[in-house]
Amino acid sequence: MANKTIMVIDDAASIRQVVSMTLKGAGYDVIEACDGKDALGKLDGQKLNLIITDVNMPNMDGITFIKEAKQLPRYKFTPIMVLTTESQDEKKRAGQAAGAKAWVVKPFQPPQLLAAVSKLVLP
Amino acid sequence: MDANLQVHQEGSHCHINISGELTIYGAAELKPVLLEHLAGASRLEINLAGVEEMDAAGFQLLYLLKREAKSGNKVVSLVAHSPAMLEVLALLNMEADFGDPLVLAS
Amino acid sequence: MDLMEQAQETFVTESLDLLIAMEEGLNQLESEPDNEELINSVFRAAHTIKGSAGLFGLDDIVAFTHKVENVLDRVRDGDIAITPPLIAILLECRDHTEALIEDMGGEATDPALLEQSGQLLERLQGVAGGPGGASPAAGAEAAASSPSTWEASVDRQESPPVENDNWHISLKFHPDVFRNGMDPLSFLRYLATLGEIVRVATSLDAMPEAEAMDPESCYLGMEVAFKSDADKQTIMEVFDFIAEDSEVAVLPPYSKLSEYAELIEKLKAQDDSYRIGDLLLQCGALTQPELDKALSYQQAHRSDPEPQPLGEVLVEQRAVHPETVKAALGKQKQIKEVKLKESKSIRVDAGRLDQLINLVGELVIAGAGTNLKAQQLGDADLQESVSLISRLVEEIRDRSLRLRMVQVGDTFNRFNRVVRDVSRELGKSIRLVIEGSETELDKSVVEKIGDPLTHLVRNAIDHGIESAEARRAAGKPEQGMVKLDAYHDSGSIVIEVSDDGGGIDADKVLAKARANGLVPADAQLSRPEILRLILKAGLSTKEAVSNLSGRGVGMDVVTKNVEALRGDIEVESELGRGTSIKVRLPLTLSIIDGFLVGVGSAGYVIPLDSVVECIEHQDVDKVRAHGGRYINLRDEVLPYLNLRELFGERGASTVGRENIVVVRSGNQKAGLVVDELMGEYQTVIKPLSRIFSRLSGISGSTILGSGEVAMILDVSALIKEAEQKTLQLG
Repeated sequence: MANKTIMVIDDAASIRQVVSMTLKGAGYDVIEACDGKDALGKLDGQKLNLIITDVNMPNMDGITFIKEAKQLPRYKFTPIMVLTTESQDEKKRAGQAAGAKAWVVKPFQPPQLLAAVSKLVLP
Repeated sequence: MDANLQVHQEGSHCHINISGELTIYGAAELKPVLLEHLAGASRLEINLAGVEEMDAAGFQLLYLLKREAKSGNKVVSLVAHSPAMLEVLALLNMEADFGDPLVLAS
Repeated sequence: MDLMEQAQETFVTESLDLLIAMEEGLNQLESEPDNEELINSVFRAAHTIKGSAGLFGLDDIVAFTHKVENVLDRVRDGDIAITPPLIAILLECRDHTEALIEDMGGEATDPALLEQSGQLLERLQGVAGGPGGASPAAGAEAAASSPSTWEASVDRQESPPVENDNWHISLKFHPDVFRNGMDPLSFLRYLATLGEIVRVATSLDAMPEAEAMDPESCYLGMEVAFKSDADKQTIMEVFDFIAEDSEVAVLPPYSKLSEYAELIEKLKAQDDSYRIGDLLLQCGALTQPELDKALSYQQAHRSDPEPQPLGEVLVEQRAVHPETVKAALGKQKQIKEVKLKESKSIRVDAGRLDQLINLVGELVIAGAGTNLKAQQLGDADLQESVSLISRLVEEIRDRSLRLRMVQVGDTFNRFNRVVRDVSRELGKSIRLVIEGSETELDKSVVEKIGDPLTHLVRNAIDHGIESAEARRAAGKPEQGMVKLDAYHDSGSIVIEVSDDGGGIDADKVLAKARANGLVPADAQLSRPEILRLILKAGLSTKEAVSNLSGRGVGMDVVTKNVEALRGDIEVESELGRGTSIKVRLPLTLSIIDGFLVGVGSAGYVIPLDSVVECIEHQDVDKVRAHGGRYINLRDEVLPYLNLRELFGERGASTVGRENIVVVRSGNQKAGLVVDELMGEYQTVIKPLSRIFSRLSGISGSTILGSGEVAMILDVSALIKEAEQKTLQLG
């Protein structure tokens, strides 16, 4: 069976890298995007098992992206996880309101990220 | 992404082959179709050999069919469970409730 | 006093009140032994004290009141009759409970009191009858009552040990779980990684009849028996993402029956049709007698005022509006779809964009000025806020410059046509390879690079690629190849035009240049220097490079165009293998990150990207090599140039020590001797007026924050200058 595919959206390349390496190491396939707009452009019908998105990004922020993605029939049921920081509780709420019910608090260690991801989709 | 259906009607018996993904993505489309076939038959046999993926929404649909059949004195039997299908039934401990002989499709 | 201490004080007051009620109740029972209400109030007193004591870890009180509660529970069920001796011993137990509570200030319970606990409980068992109480003083080990009489154990499970140590997880999923992208099965699968799922009881009781069933709504409920060493928090966290909307309860192994009773009550309150009892039996959480007990327990507590469960409130609220909500959502969706299409790209008049970039340029200058003033004032707070503004300005600068960036791909693709036309004209078969299409560069650069590139490509086809016969003879594929490539390299963009043709014959070029008087007859030139000659005016390459007839294009035109863009050209060629011409251009034409240096009384800006390092002049060894003056930088021999001499600065050096800035362009390096290093500086390039445009080594000017004008150094010109000067001086 094909690997589970996760899209990772963050404007910080370092964070994308950490997330991406962690996920790939665990056996997921990863598609990277550097902001909401880039990510929307990359939603071209392929099957995604999870989308992990930062909130504060240039061009299109995470919340707008979530709302847009939820309008696409192919992705309306795709789980979305937001990357938040401890101080961004209202961002987490905004993400939840937009339809992203999962979250990971930054800074996180790879095992924490994997645990959160695994709740939604095992590798 | 959606499930593919192949329907074969034989008198009051209806055979349906479901393949692909039996998931939330196709649930809304599939429900009326399956119910319609059940309404038009006394016996519905669903072959699940080609189901590559099933989620809880897909399971709910099968459960609905089973329940409707029971209340309408009809029979819905699930045959040739795919491995994906068996995993879900085992996870939910619903093999016995569905009451179908579980023969792995080869 | 911390929160727990405060709460513990409340516990004492509350318990004493309850004990008074218990005493009154027991006294009254003497005359009314069948009064259920009295029995209940006595039971509740023992039960509540036990429950609260557990919260504070008062195990001795828990252990004692637990047994009393058990007996009272059997009285309530009618298993034990109220008799004067029972009332007498229960009154003694009440007094003893009070003594235990009064004693709890100390570290440990008074051993005498503990002994008394044991004796009292033994007597209680004797009066109440029935087995159990073998180890009455066994602390919190309250579950030690006889397994054969489940009645005696109200709060602890009496299942066989294997099932006894299971966690119980109760899940009732919110209808929107699927819409939120969650699959209940995924949580079960993850749970299975933390332990063993012993048994699952699945319910779809909540699923309405076929017509009303929404296939995108989740109707699942699950009761899960789970065996694991994980702690409660870890297990709770499995369901973090659904906990807000869905009903999630995690009961540890050996949970009290009362907790199951509460669970049952809570789920029943939300949905009376939910067969939670059956499910608990199915998954092995409770035995039938335990379930019965839990249900009756629940009834006994019906009198307690219960707040309306939140779920009900939500269900009610939602029931009011579903249509309105759906309509609103539909409308929102339409708007979103339109917006999505629009957001892909916006056309902006280039003039407006230029105005914006100009303003950002002014902003950068003004910001640099403010920065300078803040540093002079030495106010730390001001400096901090200025540096924040600087960072934002820098970001705005980068972003707005990026607005003008376009991919080079469109420009490259135009050459498909050029290649086809020219190769047909010349009767050659040539394939164009395009790489690096996605490389971005400033739109104004793209516009100006078109003509020079066309020259280079035509040259490559005309002079570079040999005839089919010649290629065959040389063992090459008949079809020639011309390649266009673009990439970023140390702050510049490089556009490379290469071919797999015959290459440039350096000897022929040199001979031709000598014949034309471009180089003195006796000059010794290196191979790169010879190759650069093809860029000079007056050298028609067509005869020099090949004998093929064709349209020779003056490379000097290309050179001029590129230099007008502050660019540079490198030529590489290998005879018989091909030629590669690299056009190196600045990424943008208007703003650069600069490194400000002082020479005499003036400031000069070196593009930061070309700065390799800075060293003190006196630390550097001078060497003579190749007949010239060089500096020795860690065994690397570099030409150098004294800017003070070059620009004729007469003013005395303001600082004692000179510095050398090592700069780089392409793969050439040189040292520039300056007086003062003044640090990084954002620089807006102003075009040079005509008077200065002939000035070698200067590519533009800028206005410093102080209002002074500083020249921007043309690094590649300076490196060439340094090489020449070094040779002359040598």
